[in-house]
Amino acid sequence: MTQQYRIKGGGQIDRSTDIAFTFNGKAMKGHPGDTLASALLANGQRLVGRSFKYHRPRGILTAGSEEPNALVQLRSGAHQEPNTRATTVELFEGLAATSQNHRGSLEFDLMAATDLLSPFLAAGFYYKTFMWPRAFWEKLYEPVIRASAGLGRLSMQEDPDRYDKGFVHCDLLVIGAGPAGLAAALAAGRAGARVILADEDFTPGGRLNAETLSIDDMPGADWATQAVAQLTAMDNVRLMIRSTVYGAYDHGVYGLLERCTDHLPDPGGKPRQILWRVYSRRAVLAAGSTERPIAFGNNDRPGIMLAGAMRTYVNRFAVAPGQRIAVFTNNDDGWRTAADLSAAGIDVPAVIDSRDALPPIDLPGIRHVRGAGVVDTVGRKGVRSITLTDGQMIPVDGLAVSGGWNPNVHLTCHQRGRPAWRDDINAFVPGGTLPPGMAVAGAANGALTLAAALAEGRATANAQIKELGFKPSRAAAPRAEDEPRESAPFWYVRESTKRAWLDQQNDVTVKDVKLSYQEGFRAVEHLKRYTTLGMATDQGKTANIPALAIMAECTGKTIPETGTTIFRPPYTPVPMGALAGRARGRDFRPFRLTPSHDWAKANGATFVEAGNWLRAQWYARPGEQGWRDSVDREVLMTRKSVGICDVTTLGKIDIQGRDAGAFLNKVYCNGFATLAVGKVRYGLMLREDGIAYDDGTTARLADNHYVMTTTTANAVLVFRRLEFARQCLWPDMDVHLISTTDGWAQFAVAGPNARALLRKVVDSDHDISNAAFPFMGCAEITVCGGTPARLFRISFSGELAFEIAVPARFGHSMMDVLMEAGREFDAVPYGTEALGVMRIEKGHAAGNELNGQTTAHNLGMGRMVSQKKDCIGNVLSQRPEMIRDDAVKLVGLRPVNRADKLIAGSHFINRGDDATMDNDQGWMTSVAYSPSLGHSIGLGFVKSGDTRQGEIIRAVNPLKTGEIEVEIVSAHFIDPEGERLRA
Amino acid sequence: MPDFTLTSAPPLAGYDKSFADLRLTSPADLALVSLALPLGGEDAAQKAIKSAYGAALPVPGKSVSAKDGARLVRLGLDAGMVIFTHATPDAERVVAARLGGAVYTTDQTDVWTGLELSGPTARAALERICPLDLHDSAFAVNDAARTAMEHLGVLIIRTGQDSFLLLSASSSAGSFLHAVETSIENTI
Repeated sequence: MTQQYRIKGGGQIDRSTDIAFTFNGKAMKGHPGDTLASALLANGQRLVGRSFKYHRPRGILTAGSEEPNALVQLRSGAHQEPNTRATTVELFEGLAATSQNHRGSLEFDLMAATDLLSPFLAAGFYYKTFMWPRAFWEKLYEPVIRASAGLGRLSMQEDPDRYDKGFVHCDLLVIGAGPAGLAAALAAGRAGARVILADEDFTPGGRLNAETLSIDDMPGADWATQAVAQLTAMDNVRLMIRSTVYGAYDHGVYGLLERCTDHLPDPGGKPRQILWRVYSRRAVLAAGSTERPIAFGNNDRPGIMLAGAMRTYVNRFAVAPGQRIAVFTNNDDGWRTAADLSAAGIDVPAVIDSRDALPPIDLPGIRHVRGAGVVDTVGRKGVRSITLTDGQMIPVDGLAVSGGWNPNVHLTCHQRGRPAWRDDINAFVPGGTLPPGMAVAGAANGALTLAAALAEGRATANAQIKELGFKPSRAAAPRAEDEPRESAPFWYVRESTKRAWLDQQNDVTVKDVKLSYQEGFRAVEHLKRYTTLGMATDQGKTANIPALAIMAECTGKTIPETGTTIFRPPYTPVPMGALAGRARGRDFRPFRLTPSHDWAKANGATFVEAGNWLRAQWYARPGEQGWRDSVDREVLMTRKSVGICDVTTLGKIDIQGRDAGAFLNKVYCNGFATLAVGKVRYGLMLREDGIAYDDGTTARLADNHYVMTTTTANAVLVFRRLEFARQCLWPDMDVHLISTTDGWAQFAVAGPNARALLRKVVDSDHDISNAAFPFMGCAEITVCGGTPARLFRISFSGELAFEIAVPARFGHSMMDVLMEAGREFDAVPYGTEALGVMRIEKGHAAGNELNGQTTAHNLGMGRMVSQKKDCIGNVLSQRPEMIRDDAVKLVGLRPVNRADKLIAGSHFINRGDDATMDNDQGWMTSVAYSPSLGHSIGLGFVKSGDTRQGEIIRAVNPLKTGEIEVEIVSAHFIDPEGERLRA
Repeated sequence: MPDFTLTSAPPLAGYDKSFADLRLTSPADLALVSLALPLGGEDAAQKAIKSAYGAALPVPGKSVSAKDGARLVRLGLDAGMVIFTHATPDAERVVAARLGGAVYTTDQTDVWTGLELSGPTARAALERICPLDLHDSAFAVNDAARTAMEHLGVLIIRTGQDSFLLLSASSSAGSFLHAVETSIENTI
């Protein structure tokens, strides 16, 4: 095919270069500057898809992002993207597009039979028909309906493209680079403001490229090119083309999707699209306007197009949408299309104007049909003739329809602003409260004529930047004339008996709107949901206003009384890939690694995520059959000799100041006033409501210097809470906090040989004997010949244990050293599983017990909550319900039949009681297989558990194993007297 | 003679890579010590800082270069940081000794990892991860700010017209480097 519909001369295309592309496998050619739609039309391809519901043959309706019909699947394989608007796709070499929503070929769609059934398939058909039997909906009806209706298909493969996000800042964001936007950007740019000018098109200029109007005595398109050149030369202006501002958010933040490589055959490893967050101080919305159709019988045939779009194809792309094109209009602007078509050598047999009035412009040789309409059309795969209200038939191969223009108010409504109706232009304009900082100019504001749009763009930008303290430039507004713009409120041709389409993407007709009214769905939001009007990817940009005008007519209300549905972001579709950006797979979130991570990796560790941390869960050794083998060995070896665990992830907060001790006394529920230098104390924090919040140890390194540890999970939260306390609750205290979590590589060295091992590492001038460095001691020391370190004698495992910290840069090396020094003791590294087993054996509470619902009283630490001082949570912790005698208490549990396995989450029921919530006695929080005892053990909360030791109850778990009998025992399974840790 | 010795291995040690007109490096031996001004002792603290470094802490959000090349950054009303080159793990003691107890100091060297990005298109690369406005009019040379990039807390300092020092947590140094490298690769 040879672009037989290409007009000789003119257009913003580069005729010196051919671009080869395919549509449904058919080879075609276009030129740089073409969209896929213009190239298809140049090649005479008018049928481009099948409709959503009735599989009607459809062509191209528009020349912009509002396109409801011409949706194609672009590219192939994993790059395939469904529902791409041919009208916005920039043609590139090798582009491969296929049509959507048909079985068999596009020309002979087997599903077109549904069109014959249309009398039965009106709005609400599915709701009414597929109600029974209920279970069939999900399994049968919906899959079948979905397979026959719908739009494109996903590739079902992972998206191989890259996406990115970014942040840009400006004084003034100008949305849209049409006449008003260019005038606004020029004004603000000249005044020195930082301007971002964004436009969804690949050629800025908006309608100037599509029309034949003049500015400053030059063709509008040339003026636009010149304006862009001026803007590009300004350092303070950033022009973002192929960039859609899709949402207006709080505080002047706008969402912007930049399509970086969609116009290239290959993205070259660069992000395909970037989702920008635009921080603006002010914005000018110059989004232009969208033409709306008039509904009449069979108005959806390929070849029937919006009049402004026809003009765009002729003027911008030098493509004739047909050879004989009639114009049907309710306004003056339609006449300009007739003039442009005629000037391009296209035969215009008639202009049919719904108004019984004289022509606004003189078009010699073109018949004017006054006060008439089109009632029907013929031509299944392309319009062949039209029939007018007076019965006369005109043979055509194209029909340009203009129902007037709707200002693109969408972004003005993103923060719940409601548009206002203007009778003089029969359209909604921005009304009520706009997003703060936004002003609207040009056609988007109802200034539908060129001179007005240019003047308004300039004036609005000047007013905006003046508020920011800039001095507007004296440059005058560009000179242009206002074109005739009278219009009539004419929405559909009453005389039509055939289906008249409103929403072509969702196949909603005038009759469907009337049915919706008849069945009581009269509010616009109900109309939308009942008929699916405006719910497709185009969000009803061409359909909504005519539809609600018809609803207004039905209800006898005015259009403004009927109102519009709410406009929400995004203005046009945003791919999920762009929303995800880089946050995919392993890059979904950052990882935090401990200093011994590489060591652990080299030594068989399996890792577990703890927040963003990766922690060694266990270290498998050759021959071990599963994780239990490894964990059991690590526990037994630690308890027998010595084990080493990287505990760097525990939060560390450096606390300094004259009031540091008093501060700690207020944030912990137990006393800290008496903690001596060189000592560590366990501390429990409560929430304001008395519930346990976090626990850890705090060491006093010097008079005014403490180091607090928190749990891994709560490190950030505790830090934030302490900052709040310091800055807001007690600003008169001299306390300073800074996180040192990442600064110190910290290792637990636990087991009977822990001290012997550490003696080989700690420099000999530090005495770490039991007498000199007893349980709960701490000191700043040196190791390995002078490296600064901190030593804490604390134990989570219940063994003789220390935690030794060195600056993180030495962490990897320290792990090597500890293992080397421990070789003679058969030291083992242990992971979080063994850590967990040992803490359960010892009866230490952890996250499962401090779950945000439990109190110190429940944890058996009620006496720790000091009533002698003021601290966070101690008052409310004493509420009667929270200190009931029969409250649940933390206890140990073991299976009566030692071979039984306990399951966390099981609930306790007394023997003989029904397993109902009324008889609930508490729940199992943590379980482990204890290699030390040779059976399963658990911790749990049992009502009055502290007084029920030895009692046998049932652990019920209907979801898993049913139930087993367990005995309530002390939570301290190992060394209940604490002799080991004091050794 | 101790039986064992420890070797230092900061997470991004030795990293130095060029991308077109950009260079990304991990500054060697970057030492950081936080400064906290005692409540009621701010004047004395500033005096001590000035006498030690030849410059007091500037206003929050700014940094100054001291006479010995150290950089003093003010992070908040009572918080600052001194950034300098120092190889051994005693940076805090060195600073504390110079300030004579007038300021609370905490060693932050190993808490952070540093990346210096320099080159004419540095700002364009940072635009992909840094939510802050880095335009000359909003973030001048020597300005400093706390922000977040790719979910990671970052202290960013503009060390020159085309160079930025980025400091982020050392535990996530690998993810941070990946985020910055990706931003560069996506923009060059």
